[in-house]
Amino acid sequence: MKTFADSATSFIASQSDAASRQGAFNAFEATGLPTTTDEVWRYAPLSELSLDKFSITSSPSNHTDSSFAIDLTKSAGLVIRVVDGYCVNIGDLPKGVHAESVESSTSLSGQSLTLRYESDTFAQLNAALAPSTTVIRIDAGVHVEQPIIVLNATSAQSSFSRTQIELAKGSSATIVEYFEGGENALVVPLSEYSIGENASLQLITYQRLNATAWHVARTTGLIQRDGRLRQAVIGIGGYYNRSRNDAEFLGTGAENELRTTFLGSGKQVHDFRTRQFHKVGRSRSTLLSKGAVADESRSVYTGVIEIEKGAKRTDARQTNHNLLLSPHAHADSVPNLDIRENDVMCAHASSVGPLDELQRWYLESRGVSRPDAERLMIQGFFNEMLTTLPKELAQLVEQDVTSVLSQVNVVTP
Amino acid sequence: MSSTLKIEGLRAEVAGKEVLRGFDLEMSSGEVHVIMGPNGSGKSTLAHVLTGHPGYKVLAGSVKLDGIELLELSPTERARHGLLLALQQPMEVPGVRPYDLLHAAGASEVNLHERMVEEANKVELRPEVLERFVNVDLSGGERKRAEMVQLGILQPKFAVLDEIDSGLDVDALGAVARRLQLATKEWNCGVLAITHFRRLLQELTPTKIHVVSEGRVVATGGPELSEILERDGYEPFRAQSA
Repeated sequence: MKTFADSATSFIASQSDAASRQGAFNAFEATGLPTTTDEVWRYAPLSELSLDKFSITSSPSNHTDSSFAIDLTKSAGLVIRVVDGYCVNIGDLPKGVHAESVESSTSLSGQSLTLRYESDTFAQLNAALAPSTTVIRIDAGVHVEQPIIVLNATSAQSSFSRTQIELAKGSSATIVEYFEGGENALVVPLSEYSIGENASLQLITYQRLNATAWHVARTTGLIQRDGRLRQAVIGIGGYYNRSRNDAEFLGTGAENELRTTFLGSGKQVHDFRTRQFHKVGRSRSTLLSKGAVADESRSVYTGVIEIEKGAKRTDARQTNHNLLLSPHAHADSVPNLDIRENDVMCAHASSVGPLDELQRWYLESRGVSRPDAERLMIQGFFNEMLTTLPKELAQLVEQDVTSVLSQVNVVTP
Repeated sequence: MSSTLKIEGLRAEVAGKEVLRGFDLEMSSGEVHVIMGPNGSGKSTLAHVLTGHPGYKVLAGSVKLDGIELLELSPTERARHGLLLALQQPMEVPGVRPYDLLHAAGASEVNLHERMVEEANKVELRPEVLERFVNVDLSGGERKRAEMVQLGILQPKFAVLDEIDSGLDVDALGAVARRLQLATKEWNCGVLAITHFRRLLQELTPTKIHVVSEGRVVATGGPELSEILERDGYEPFRAQSA
């Protein structure tokens, strides 16, 4: 049997930019997989991860879109299909929108990927093994009305997709990155978003992978002066779902609103990490992370707000709420602040607990049955996270989340 | 059809302290009963005990709606038998929309949205407010008007109002009181209103007023009782109970 390394090496050898890929793979091999003694990986069931179960595919496999994926594309202005990390189709481009699949080993920050993600083993794997980078660019001043949907499916044993989205000055767009498939697969997407001056990106990352998938994702927003990134990350699928979402504030007035949500069931582990890095003053971040864990699932939320010396009048807020739907589920919340400037507004709050008994009583006192009251409240917990989405999209996601929730077992403590 | 709500010898405690000490009251459909009394007399406890609030413990007594013992029923079943509580501080339920609440509470979906708008108009509530999550980002007045929308849709046999007048401006108070008065005609709703203030009675005509002190009814009378209370306060009634 071929090992993961053999499979990776032969894949890399077949690529045109083999040298830089090999460099990234060497960097990966030098560090190897993390272990749970490493603080940032301590909650991951790494002892169950054996890379040799996954081989690298040299071409995209066939994938049939789910009915949800089909519904999602109905109101889209542009649909881009990515299968097993390969960009297989780009729809008709609206005016001012460019999309292509390119060979690249450069981060939107300008650094090489290997350097940019030096300390991130899985990002190095992505740098070595992503077939290409799917690039979406919006021209200056262009307002893209209908959402751009990136359908990202995994049918092979592994998938390393890379997406880079660039909004030029004064432009705006709504983009959905939707993930499905991934049965018994390793799914390692790496996304970067560059928000130009006074540009505005509404981004929805919706992860609905198979419950057996290992999903290790990372996104980074680079926000220029008066730019705005509103990002919603919804994680439903995966056996291990790691989602790291960073934002860097590069110009004054830069703004990031990040909402991360997850629903854990079975023995899933949801591992959410955020970093809001305020490099300049008068930038603003609002982070709301909410998740629910049922059955024997676990979750961890770790977030850091970092404020550079001199980044005066930064306003950074971080909130994390976790809902326990079973006595055997567990949630950890680890908010961190790293502030090197005094003249800032900074707040964080977190909570872990079961459904609110009084809210439930209020619903029951109107004649709502207990199971219905609990269902409404759990749905509500998620609905609240979707309020900033465009209405049609919010409805679609809300319906989908509702159908998932109807399967979840709620055990009141 | 006429219904009866009968409370007998009700005793209940909250946080280990007995607050209701043998409370009796009987009322019929279409009537308006008003419970008045000083702070700590047990008024709010009564409202919460009637609807099965988890923080209150019933020690003895009975509450029957048309002969059915409510104290043995879950809060849901009590509501489904026709008892609705409107709260002093209607609770925020983030993420849940009024429409979904009402549908789950048993309201028919036929024209539900239109009926909600109609009910909102009756209490001069902007219908857009009903698109927000239940009581979230609503002013005190809007919340109580929104409770009246629920009342109008669910049409309970008896509505229990726990200090629904507190924190309301005159306009909101008038709107709420008129809605309740109309409900007594519309579907013969019985209204049990708990209040500190007489001003609710300017628009809502009571059938009977009950003065409560130390967890039980110490005096019952017509509207004239409120005038005595206005003039002399609760002190004479306290003496009476001792």
